[in-house]
Amino acid sequence: MGLREDLERYRAVGEERRQDLAEFIQYGDLGQSRQDEVRIPIKIVDLPEFAYDQRDMGGVGQGEGAEEGDPVGQPQPQPGDGDEDGQPGEEGGEHEYYEMDPEEFAQELDEQLGLDLDPKGKKVVEESEGDFTDITRTGPSSTLDFEHLFKEGLKRKLAMDFDREFVREALKVHGWGPATVFDWARDQHVPVSKAWLEETYEEIDDAEKATWDSIEEMEANVERTDTAARIRREGVDQIPFRREDERYRYPEIIEEKERNVVVVNIRDVSGSMRQKKRELVERTFTPLDWYLQGKYDNAEFVYIAHDADAWEVDREEFFGIRSGGGTRISSAYEVAMERLEEEYPWSEWNRYVFAAGDSENSSNDTEEHVIPLMERIPANLHAYVETQPSGNAINATHAEEVGRHFRDAGDVAVAYVSSPEDVVDAIYEILSTEEEDA
Amino acid sequence: MSRKDRIRAQRAAEQLEEPVEEAANLAERLGLEPYPVNYWIVDYAEMNELIAYGGFQQRYPHWRWGMQYDRQQKQGQFLGGKAFEIVNNDNPAHAFLQESNELADQKAVITHVEAHADFFSNNEWFGMFAGRSSRRDDESEGGDSRTRTPDASAMLARHGDTIREYMQDPEIDRAEVEKWIDHVLCLEDNVDQHQPYAPVGDPDVPEIDEDFEDVADQLEDLNVSDEVKKQVFSQEWLDAQSPDDESITFPAEPEKDVLAFLRTHGMQYDEDGEKAVEMEDWQVDVLEILRREAYYFAPQKMTKIMNEGWAAYWESMMMGEEGFAGDDEFVLYADHQSKVLGSAGLNPYKLGKELWEYIENSENRREVAERLLRVEGITWRNFQDVVDFREVQDHLAPEPWLEDVPGSLDEIPADDPRVDAEMLREAKDGEFDVERYPWKVLTYEGLAERHYSLVKPQYRGFVSRIGQEDLERVSRYMFDDSRYESVAEALADVDFARGWDRMREIRESHNDVTFLDEFLSQEFVDENDYFTYEYTQSTGDYRVTSTDYRDVKKKLMLQFTNFGKPTITVADGNYENRNELLLTHQFNGVVLDMDQAKDTLERVFQLWGRPVNLLTIDKVFDEHDVEVARRRDREPEPEDVGKRLRYDGEEVTVQEVDWSEVEHLAADDVDYDTKPEEWLA
Repeated sequence: MGLREDLERYRAVGEERRQDLAEFIQYGDLGQSRQDEVRIPIKIVDLPEFAYDQRDMGGVGQGEGAEEGDPVGQPQPQPGDGDEDGQPGEEGGEHEYYEMDPEEFAQELDEQLGLDLDPKGKKVVEESEGDFTDITRTGPSSTLDFEHLFKEGLKRKLAMDFDREFVREALKVHGWGPATVFDWARDQHVPVSKAWLEETYEEIDDAEKATWDSIEEMEANVERTDTAARIRREGVDQIPFRREDERYRYPEIIEEKERNVVVVNIRDVSGSMRQKKRELVERTFTPLDWYLQGKYDNAEFVYIAHDADAWEVDREEFFGIRSGGGTRISSAYEVAMERLEEEYPWSEWNRYVFAAGDSENSSNDTEEHVIPLMERIPANLHAYVETQPSGNAINATHAEEVGRHFRDAGDVAVAYVSSPEDVVDAIYEILSTEEEDA
Repeated sequence: MSRKDRIRAQRAAEQLEEPVEEAANLAERLGLEPYPVNYWIVDYAEMNELIAYGGFQQRYPHWRWGMQYDRQQKQGQFLGGKAFEIVNNDNPAHAFLQESNELADQKAVITHVEAHADFFSNNEWFGMFAGRSSRRDDESEGGDSRTRTPDASAMLARHGDTIREYMQDPEIDRAEVEKWIDHVLCLEDNVDQHQPYAPVGDPDVPEIDEDFEDVADQLEDLNVSDEVKKQVFSQEWLDAQSPDDESITFPAEPEKDVLAFLRTHGMQYDEDGEKAVEMEDWQVDVLEILRREAYYFAPQKMTKIMNEGWAAYWESMMMGEEGFAGDDEFVLYADHQSKVLGSAGLNPYKLGKELWEYIENSENRREVAERLLRVEGITWRNFQDVVDFREVQDHLAPEPWLEDVPGSLDEIPADDPRVDAEMLREAKDGEFDVERYPWKVLTYEGLAERHYSLVKPQYRGFVSRIGQEDLERVSRYMFDDSRYESVAEALADVDFARGWDRMREIRESHNDVTFLDEFLSQEFVDENDYFTYEYTQSTGDYRVTSTDYRDVKKKLMLQFTNFGKPTITVADGNYENRNELLLTHQFNGVVLDMDQAKDTLERVFQLWGRPVNLLTIDKVFDEHDVEVARRRDREPEPEDVGKRLRYDGEEVTVQEVDWSEVEHLAADDVDYDTKPEEWLA
């Protein structure tokens, strides 16, 4: 089967040889994705045919409790029509998007492009609890380490225990009193207290106090039992639990570093950025955003629009703004630096600064301001995406200058996009720059 | 395929041999008569490829296969989408199993495929292409219609070879062939799918009057002004040149097979010479090939609901109820099944399955009602009051041994018509695993009772919901109305197979349109929560308009009649005596997508070579009316306006025409609008 050829033919639809079909290609809009979901538009070539007007046709849905007048979702979501979900049921419609979550998307891109970007953990997040392997001296009784308490108690008992009978016999040696026995016991490493000796000595009948003539005689006649044997014979009747032996289990605190990323998207919105260029920026930035969102635990985005001045905007506005003014790219980097220093310290955040435009800049701004600023803003990656769908303008040299200056730097990428087909290459160019660095 | 792959595929194949064989046996036991099916084990990439190419290995070169492959592959990757079945209509049918699927999925695919194969081999709409083409290709065979087969794989492969050769021909520009294919594909639904396919060139197709053509052409070529022409060549003289006045207007009847008409009378447009010239042989050939394929695929498009529903019904019968999936596989199966049937929107699998189930239930209920109405003392008037439906349920419940075959081998009567005595003996002798294949012991009658729909928990109460009207209709045709003395006696005579019998009859003769028309009822619409919606001008979005089954039916018919496309016919091949083509849109109240119509017209021009026209009716809203309606929160009423679209090779023009010109196109007895009256301004 000529699959490879047919795929090639499909890609060629709308290109030179099959320009006649260009008008039937629909690329969906990129801007509709939600945070947790990525929608990738696919190239659909729809040959025209005699068909009904979709609106006039109406349709049939399925869903419980549908009442006359209830709104239903778009029967066939048209690109740009918003993405409301069909409520009581909607027409299936051809899929014009692949939906996936950003993590999958990142994985997919890694596989497709052979990338392996390893996100760096930076900011220490609140300690997360690990196993209960750490120990403290206080705690709720449910976490008391009883085994520890018992073992310590047992050890203590063993250490304090001695052959009482044997020491008692020593007190019966002629002429020995508690003091003598105490010294003797110390010699023998028997842990006996003076108090106990004195007390026991009191209890012994005077008649018995001279049972043995000498200690040697006693030792020869009285059998000595060691502690272990005695415990085995008599059992442990009481383990002395002590407060100081109490230990409470405590979860190990794992100092987890969260992989935080802040992505600064900068876009030239000046007069020279026409619709086509605007779209190309969106096509390049959006997947980059998704990718990083998928790669990092926590992704935040800063959108900066600029002409001769720069200001921060919301994402919704970002790709749509058009302004009239001139262009001064450094203005955006100033805003970016300020924002990053304020809220996204380099010690805690991975930073990506992506800028896009048509490379036009006011004279000397690139060399005198932008490049020094880029050097002053520490980031995992700086990138400039030049969108130039219609050849080069004479004074459009920003990308070139940046590229030249940072030729050997591992953290600056410059990519050129002049048609939707270049987007993937550009993404690869940008993301692989950091990878080499890492 | 590497050696390792082959071994793996081999192993997968061995594992599937038994399920394949037993699924065919089971299908047959259940009353199906599928074409034999050849199963192929393919890997993931091959599967995607097959899906892209519509289930066949060899097709003509075209970008759309590439597009479909790309989409299929990405959907698989990104959505985890799974191909459930791919089977093509042929005898033997070919079905493809993806090697990496779980066994439970494979079994589901196999059962599903068997049901499709049954549909292919028995549905008359499929038979139409098969019968006709094989009679032509293979005169000697003729005979029984079941031996005639579409021979699709070979046909499509031949088409592919032919077109590939044209593309490789150094004399022919490949891009030209590709463009030509696209022009034709824009009209692929504009055939007469209710007629059997016949290659153009049959003697009964009228020919153009060549003489007249020549004179007209020659006049064109003279390149003189209209004034001069008028003075030199009077209209009378021109008319005299054509021997028969009637032949100036052709076709005699509006022709629905636009492709056939273009194949016979169309010309190509020569860009350089700026005039129409005869089509090249390859162009005629490609056009005919694509037309034949359109006819081959038409039955699939015409029976989507029925065919998919049929397959889903029997798959669920075999997999779920007959336990074709092992216990451990069942959960997986149920999970996947719910994914297929649970997709959003109007789903032909679901609608079809629900409708088949509804037919089964209604037919069984009719049987029960007919029996009960013959009981002494039960009439259609008192039916609901005197019948104890719980008692009915008890009588209808299958014999315990039908439900638990392996556990009651000793009690099963060998001479019962519901029992296959031979297999019972084998089961007792342990010659097959009766735990696994209990159905082998039972006959069709036995299985029908074993799976009797009315006693299933989800359909309890279905009998009691029978309407008065139905009861009255049933009793109207009954003569021996007091044959039984008791309910028990009456129900003992119930034919449990009646639902299935009827379903098979329906799958033979119906297509989606007749299927919906006949069986969609209010009860069905209520039970399955269908509704219609329309675009409303006042709110600018789609709103639910009705849950009345007549409205739902209307909308569904609109979606499935004529592939859900407007009917376009050739009205005149010599429009206004200028050799222009006139197409007419048979207006049923729903307007054309005008932008697409214009684009399509430009393509038709390429196949006609001369200016093309389309007469249609459009709805026009008066701005004032829209405003008034909006203020009142009502729907404005549009005015129907006749329009003529014309493409002359340079630009499309749209002209309003007098109502009298289009009046004949407007059907006045159809109305697809479901908006409630009170919404209108």
